[in-house]
Order: sequence, then C-alpha cells, then structure tokens
Amino acid sequence: MSSETTFQQDFQIKGGDFVNAGESSCKIRNILKDIGIEAEIIRRIAIAAYEAEMNVVMYAKTGLLKLVLTPGKVLITVEDRGPGIKDIELAMQPGYSTATEEMREMGFGAGMGLPNIKKNADIFDISSAVGKGTKLKIVFNLDGNNS
Amino acid sequence: MAITAKASLYHSVRIDEKKCVGCVRCMKGCPTKAIRVKNGKAKIIKERCIDCGECLRVCPYDAVLPITTSSADLKKFKYKVALPSPVLYSQFGQHVRPNEILSALKQLGFDYVYEEALMCEMTSRAIEEYLDEYKGPNPVISSTCPVVVRLIQRLFPSLCQLIIPIEPPREIASKNLRSEISEKYNLRKEDIGIIHITPCSAKMVSINYPETMKKSHLDGALSIQQVYNDIMKSIKRPSRPFMLDTQSPVSGIGIGWTISGGEIRGLKYFHSVSVSGVYDTIRILEDVEAGKLKNIEYLECMICPDGCIGGPLTVENRFVAKSNVLRLIRTFGDKKRVDTHFVKKLYKEKFFSFEASVKPKPFAPLDKNRAKAIKKMELIEKTTKELPGIDCGVCGAPDCKTFAEDIARGKAKLDECIFLKKKRINRKKETLWRKKK
Repeated sequence: MSSETTFQQDFQIKGGDFVNAGESSCKIRNILKDIGIEAEIIRRIAIAAYEAEMNVVMYAKTGLLKLVLTPGKVLITVEDRGPGIKDIELAMQPGYSTATEEMREMGFGAGMGLPNIKKNADIFDISSAVGKGTKLKIVFNLDGNNS
Repeated sequence: MAITAKASLYHSVRIDEKKCVGCVRCMKGCPTKAIRVKNGKAKIIKERCIDCGECLRVCPYDAVLPITTSSADLKKFKYKVALPSPVLYSQFGQHVRPNEILSALKQLGFDYVYEEALMCEMTSRAIEEYLDEYKGPNPVISSTCPVVVRLIQRLFPSLCQLIIPIEPPREIASKNLRSEISEKYNLRKEDIGIIHITPCSAKMVSINYPETMKKSHLDGALSIQQVYNDIMKSIKRPSRPFMLDTQSPVSGIGIGWTISGGEIRGLKYFHSVSVSGVYDTIRILEDVEAGKLKNIEYLECMICPDGCIGGPLTVENRFVAKSNVLRLIRTFGDKKRVDTHFVKKLYKEKFFSFEASVKPKPFAPLDKNRAKAIKKMELIEKTTKELPGIDCGVCGAPDCKTFAEDIARGKAKLDECIFLKKKRINRKKETLWRKKK
C-alpha cells in the first residue's frame, strides 16, 4: 500500500477575526469531499474543525491549523499563540466556558467546543501552557469505525 | 420555445447548439461548475447539474432551453387536471382575481383546476405537526424546492438526514386528486393527467426522477410562459383592484409560499430562517454543515431569487410579482381555512410522508482509490500555482481551480491555458533568438 501518500495544507487563523471565521474549516470540507470521504465522517470532521477554528478566533492571537491527509487517516493539528488553558479537565467539561458576554451574545461560548471536538474525533489530544498557547491534535480514522 | 419532455428526460435544460455562440456566461454562472465550453459550444456535465436554471437566466442568446411537457403530450389523458402554482396569480397585475385566472386556465383544455395554494396551507400544518414531535438535530430543512434537495444530495450529502420527510404540496395535492377523481368519475388512475403549471425549470426532472418515491404523482409540467398568452387573451383587465372573494377556499398563508419567507410565515411558533438564491443557499448550508445553526429549528431554502416568483419560467419580473403576492396575502388574510383536526388525522396516517428518505448522491471523487485521489489533490495544488489565477474561462473551464481539477481528472490538458501556452512560446522564441546570436 502506498501509505506514504500524504496531502498537507496549512491554514493561518487570526484571533478576533470573526469576519473570516469558519473559512478554513469550509475549505477542509471541500477538500475531503473531492477526495471522496464518506458524508458521515465529513460531518464529524467539519464540526471538530469548525469548533477548533472558532476557539482560536475567540481566545487566541493567532493560530496555525494543519490538515494532513493520508489514505487511512485525517489529522488536524491546531497550534495557537494565546492565553492557554489553566485547568484542562475543567475546560473539557460540557457547558464550561470562559467566553465573554459579547461572545455569548453572538451565539458563541456555550462551553461545548472542546467536548464536541472530543466527541467527534477518534483520537483527541490537548496540551496547553498558560500564557503561551494551546495545542490540539485531532485524528479521524477513515477505514475503521468510530469507536 | 420550450422543448418537449421526450427530447431529454434527465436534464431540465438543453443547449441549442445553433444558438450557442460559445461565450462563457452560463459556465461562469453555474454554481456546481457543471458547464464547460468545448469547441465553441457550451456542454452540460450531466452528473454535476442540479437543475437550478442559472444558465437559463444568464444566457442572452436564448440558447439554453427549458424542458417541459408539450400540449400534444396532454392528449393521451382522458381527464386533465391543472395544478397551478400560486405564482400564476402574481403574473397578471393587481386587478385580476385569482378565480378569473383559474377559469381562463381551465379553458385551455383542462377538465378541472385545483389550487396548489390550498395544499400549501395544509402542508404548513403538517410541518408544524412534524416539528412539534421533532427532537433534533437542528435545523430541519424544507423539502419544497426540488433543486435544494438535489443540491443537498450532491454538495452537502451529510445534511440529507435534515430534510423534512414531508412531500411538497404539489405532490400531496396530486396524490389526493388522483384518488378522488378516479373514484368520483370511475376512471383508471393512469387516464388522469395532473399537470403542474409552474415557474420552475427543475419540475420536469423532479417529476421524471423523483428522489423520495418510485413514481411522481404528477404527470407533467407546463411553464407559466407556455400558458401566459392564452390566459392573457381571455381575462378581462378591470381598472380597480378587487376586494376579497368570500367564495375562495384559499388563504394568504397558502399564497405566501411563493415568496421567500412564505413557507415559514405559516409556521407560527418555531425559530425559522428563510434564504433564497442559489449562492446564498449554498452559503447557509455551509453554515449548517459546520454546526453553526443549531439554534434554528426550521430552514426554508429556495433556489430562485426571492422564491418561486423568481423562477426562470415566469413572465412578470419578480419584484412586481412579489408586490402582487404581498397584496394577495393582505387581501386573503391569514385566517386559517384548513381544518386542523383533519390535517392531524392525515398526518398520523402518514399521508404527507416521504416513501423513502433522501439519499446522499455526492459528486464523483477525484479517484475511487483514496491514495490516488490524494495524489491528484496534490497535483491540483501544484497546477493551480502555475496557472494565472484570473479565471478567464478561455480554456473552457469556469476558473483556474476547476481547470486544474479537470487536468487531474484527465479531462483537460495544461496546454489549453492560453497564458501558459504564450509563456512557453515566448521561452522558445528566446532560446531560438539566443541560438541565432
């Protein structure tokens, strides 16, 4: 098998840029559709990518979203420069959010971002350094089931 | 002139090669990139066309022809029923009563005319029944516009499950009419011809190739343009607007379905949003796909700008038509004319329900083999960087990105880009020049 075949694309995300928010995850979806990934998996990736992108827009200064595509896997990593997360366990709890009043008024900050990413991913890894930034690693298996 | 259904069953439109001058307007306007211009003529890629009618709208040479039923096709039916879209009422100014338009329509050779508007109002109630019981995920998407359904199947396959499993009014009305008429006049069902009088170029495709049932309940579609002149001849045009016709069984709720926002107007208690136009519909479906619109309960999308009154087979411009519809809504009022209990009973009996769910029909991937598809994706990225990126369309593809895709799929050659060709020739000239020196 040509397991070396990979396709990679980088997306720069600007913190606070609500105007262009969601564009990267939209481009990712279109790439996955062209590759012929199943609708149901695209749906899960779409939600995770969008939530991850929005987290950068809402909290960080800048972020880099990397899409790596191999025949068996979709890997999305997001690395941002931002405030970081003090208590990851707390942040992973559904409903917990540090969003400001303004963000909530815009319909964001329901505290479902990270839990949603985890729920939709096959592998989810998060690490963070306060005052520096947060790193997400999100993996989707393409051949097997979503266990 | 419209083409008869027999010319082509699958497409809603056909390109007249005699009239096509090979300009790039339709190709540029196509939202699914289903048109290429090859050898000076526009060609529709069958698998990519969703029958939205944008090409029909933009062609200045009348080279894109809609496909509808011909009057000759009607002869085979013993009993002919016209099912006019309420858009028809908006086409003859503010002074003509719908009833007068309907009797003029009947004179064109129909045995019976049934107002689709009536079933629209009943469907509004059925949608409310469905939403009352619905538990998510949100939003539920309207099934009324056949092009929206196709668009979702093709471009947003993961959203198929959100389409409300309730047939649009035209289908439910025909189903009901056929059984009632065959019983009343003791006619065989196949001897009854039910014809939609339509503003919509996609109707023939949804009739010939229904997505959610084995066979459409409709037998054909005549465009509003096809019946316009004959109706015009036989109606009197009063100088003053008419007052409410108390005899009419129709309310403003049903008539309102013809404009964007009309379907959700009939749904009083749900957080709903309406969108019209193909590009805005694509944009909102992208938001749904990202999970952005979970707080919305019902989403009405219509492919034509401003709704069905913006359909490509209408005569009156859509702004005047919209004003006429709004006046009709005011005149007929929002008092419900439909027996809610009766609709509830029918709903429980699944009278409104889809026979089958809408199935995803995504576009063909770059390659069936995933590793090869990924390689082709890389090739597209590489090619796109080489191309000028000005989307001129001279190569016969709508834009550089699509051209790069066509190359990866083996359907085009890099040399077809005149800019790259020029570059190559210049380079050759330079080397020759240097050699001479």
